[in-house]
Amino acid sequence: MQMVDSGVFNMRRIIINIIKYMVILFFILWIAIPVAWIISLSFKPYGEWRTASFIPNKPTLDNYIMLFSPRVLSAFIAYTAVIEPITRPMINSVIVASVATLIAVGIGFFVAYGASRYNSPGPFTLFFTLLTRMLPPATFVTPLVVYYTTLSLLDNVIGLILLYAAASVTYAIWIIKGFIDSIPVEWEEVALIEGAKPIEVIRRVVLPIARPGIVVSGLFIFLLSWTELLFALVLTSSQAVTLPVQISKYVTGVGPLYGAQAAAALIGSLPPVIIGYIIQRHLITGFTFGLVRT
Amino acid sequence: MPEKPPRSIVYLSNIPLNLLLNGILIIPFAVMIYLAFVKWSPLMGINWWQAPFAGLANFQRALEDDRFIAALQRTAVFVVATVSIEFLLGLLLSYLLLGEFFGKKIVIALLVYPLMLPPVVVATIFYLFFQPYGPVNNIFLKFIIGEKALDIYWFLQPDLAFITILLADIWQWTPFMFLILYSGLSAVPKRFIEAAEVLGASSWYIFWRIRLPLIKQLVAVAIILRALEAFKVFDYAYVMTGGGPGTATETVSLYIYRLSILYSDISYAASVSLIVLLMIAIASRLFIYFVIERGR
Repeated sequence: MQMVDSGVFNMRRIIINIIKYMVILFFILWIAIPVAWIISLSFKPYGEWRTASFIPNKPTLDNYIMLFSPRVLSAFIAYTAVIEPITRPMINSVIVASVATLIAVGIGFFVAYGASRYNSPGPFTLFFTLLTRMLPPATFVTPLVVYYTTLSLLDNVIGLILLYAAASVTYAIWIIKGFIDSIPVEWEEVALIEGAKPIEVIRRVVLPIARPGIVVSGLFIFLLSWTELLFALVLTSSQAVTLPVQISKYVTGVGPLYGAQAAAALIGSLPPVIIGYIIQRHLITGFTFGLVRT
Repeated sequence: MPEKPPRSIVYLSNIPLNLLLNGILIIPFAVMIYLAFVKWSPLMGINWWQAPFAGLANFQRALEDDRFIAALQRTAVFVVATVSIEFLLGLLLSYLLLGEFFGKKIVIALLVYPLMLPPVVVATIFYLFFQPYGPVNNIFLKFIIGEKALDIYWFLQPDLAFITILLADIWQWTPFMFLILYSGLSAVPKRFIEAAEVLGASSWYIFWRIRLPLIKQLVAVAIILRALEAFKVFDYAYVMTGGGPGTATETVSLYIYRLSILYSDISYAASVSLIVLLMIAIASRLFIYFVIERGR
């Protein structure tokens, strides 16, 4: 609808647009400023940790080196607690997140296939898996500690892997099921008549079409497992410590070690940010849950 | 009748799924129910399955536990405050970004950045940002109230400490609200909008009277999801304040964590967990009933 083009209207529209862009700019700054400051802090030498400037005077990599060789770290400040190098938690996090993802997606794919084609394991189990995501994880802390102690799974990456896989398998099931539902059963039947073995039908017909779902749910589960803190905190103590636990230790355990804290936070956020941007475009289109009436 | 697609797969898949769900989720759940009705702590020197029954003593204790009730109230305030602010900000953002303009893709990519960070990292960022000599005091507040700003210790005063946790949550999760509302609003069919425009409706009117009512259910789901997530809040409080000063910012999750890990008060922690579980189950069921099912 074309408005009557009078000068008054133009002025108003321009002002509204200016306000609009200023609000958007405000939100961008609101998000960017804390991150920018942390990045700068992570490159500041010890003497500048207590300055608020956004650009370090003498940029240094000391903070990052500190994380990997704690000897430097304890030389820095005499009263800090001895902290393990960050290498092991990094390796643990990579192992835990990727194996949990493989298990969850592997099971999820076949369960999704059964759910789509044979209505098995049935709506109750499917809904139950979803329910587990809604309840506060803290309520499961107590029994899991007791249970894992009894099974001697405490401070063991296997314990964490199983827990993360169980807690996130629901995403793999529901996301992949959506893709398998879109494949006509006839295609599989034709392949079977043509003499293909069942496993080949899965590999040649179902898998290629379900691949985007497998990738997205896999990345999502990896992200969840990589960032989880509460259970990792409770179920590990030294051998199986993951990266979020280690990062929290820098803050709660060592006192004012600002530069190292900032560096640890940045190291911990790198993989999830990369993965996040890969799945972002899927998120925007997939976030309506089919709930908009069209 | 031709052969059906491979059935063996079904058996193959359900065994590991059931093993995983039963082994890792259902058995601990049963253990929790059992523990809630006994009196046990690892310090007692006996195995948990040999512990004496306590009846409802644990539950009675929970109802009289001021610290637990305070944590519940605090968490409820936290949920209401964060979810409503995040919803309003998310709505504002999605309204502003509905039209096409130069650089919109980059703006959206920037806006959703916080969603990808681990909560621990966000907590660390805010912890450092609100240090007495950090930029909040040293740049922004100094600009407004002068040198006094350097004396504000955000984490030593109960209200201020609580506000930093709120801000961290709002910072990280407003993009989530925005993403859901934005994808819903842009999925509204163009012909509705065009019809309203032909009739001379303003974009403001179109937003409130046409777009928003069409995504009513999505709004409800977004709020439920966010509220359930906000109730779980643990990471920010644990890293930034440790529940302090005192217990001034202790959330339900943090309290349960402390009961079972710090105080080894296992059977009591189990009964508190059970009460919280029950409350969440009832609350979300009621919400789903009133907002989604009756809204149809």
